[in-house]
Amino acid sequence: MAKSDKEKSWVWVFLGGILIWILPVAALWWYATPVYNMFLTNSAENLVRLTERPKVTRLLEHDKHHLVITRTDFATARGWLDSVRTTDVHFPLIMLGAFFLAVPGVSWKQRFENLGWAALISVFFHIFSLFFWVKFVYATQLGEWSAEHYTVFWQNFWGLGKHLIDLPFKLAMPLLLWTAFYFSKLVPNLKTT
Amino acid sequence: MSKKSRSKSKPSAKSSASAAESSASQPAAEESNAEPESFWRARRQEITFLTVFILILGGGFTLISLNWVDSNVIAPFTGGVAKASGVALNLIGQDIEMQGTVIRNNRFAVNIMNGCNGVETMIIFLGAVLAFPASWKARGIGLVLGLIAIQFVNLIRVVALFLTGAYYPKFFDSSHTVVWQTIVILFGVVLWIFWANRYAAPKPALAD
Repeated sequence: MAKSDKEKSWVWVFLGGILIWILPVAALWWYATPVYNMFLTNSAENLVRLTERPKVTRLLEHDKHHLVITRTDFATARGWLDSVRTTDVHFPLIMLGAFFLAVPGVSWKQRFENLGWAALISVFFHIFSLFFWVKFVYATQLGEWSAEHYTVFWQNFWGLGKHLIDLPFKLAMPLLLWTAFYFSKLVPNLKTT
Repeated sequence: MSKKSRSKSKPSAKSSASAAESSASQPAAEESNAEPESFWRARRQEITFLTVFILILGGGFTLISLNWVDSNVIAPFTGGVAKASGVALNLIGQDIEMQGTVIRNNRFAVNIMNGCNGVETMIIFLGAVLAFPASWKARGIGLVLGLIAIQFVNLIRVVALFLTGAYYPKFFDSSHTVVWQTIVILFGVVLWIFWANRYAAPKPALAD
């Protein structure tokens, strides 16, 4: 079945749309980053504290882009155990926004609705990602204390979990979510060979 | 995922699947009973793609985290990326000295480590290409050309980051993670869509 030129160009319109949207979305993300970092820091702290008795973890904002991990039962010379660049956890939101807003042939209402769902899933993923960061630090980065409190299995579990969440799934999340919503739109619009 | 978007996407998903899946001749009562089945059938392509993609991502990144693979495959590969970057920087007059994976001149030094070698984007691209419904020939073309292109862009990234560190050090952190990781991953995704459009598009049904 031959397609019209207009139909064939769907992919190119989409790719062009990504280029158009990437900068405005990046600007919005940059502007919202300090508030979002604060929200993530508090949410991750609450999640970590749900899993511990007594509740000793405190996550504190270090600067605009970093949080530091502290425990009330653990003193260090520098005052904190490790730091995480919070901004690095959620920068794939830039790609997510551009992908979802660039889809041609979908009403704006639908685009924003789908983007809203995808962003909501991403927020949970970011909180979960910071949770794994903290557990990774506890299990593997505190020398004797880690070995005393975590078995080899759990050190590997939190280490591999953090590695998988922080690299492949963080970086592939925009593509995964986009294909979950729009794969059925992409395939019929590919150029027939 | 809204119901609305799903009902909209249904016809297009069906049109790309075989025509035999059509249930137009089914009685209404049977149709309502068969609804859960048609939901999965209509989304079979997406679900298969996402499942295979996630399995390859998880498997691939678990594989490269194994000590043996890291020291025998990834570390030498990263060394190669560092050497190529050093050569490229020398070509543009940076007077580079190499010490293992450390690239250094009198202004700046950078250590090329895992995460700077383009392997992440390569595995994401590999997963997306292998999970996509296409012929093995199309996948082979996509992988060979795509992985080379990703390494080329990663080389540009390392060179640009070195120059950023040397001449605009206050922008290095943001460039290192946010800007260039976004560019490289975005390039991988655009390349995948380009590949799917150019080489892997499903063939139209033949009327024989």
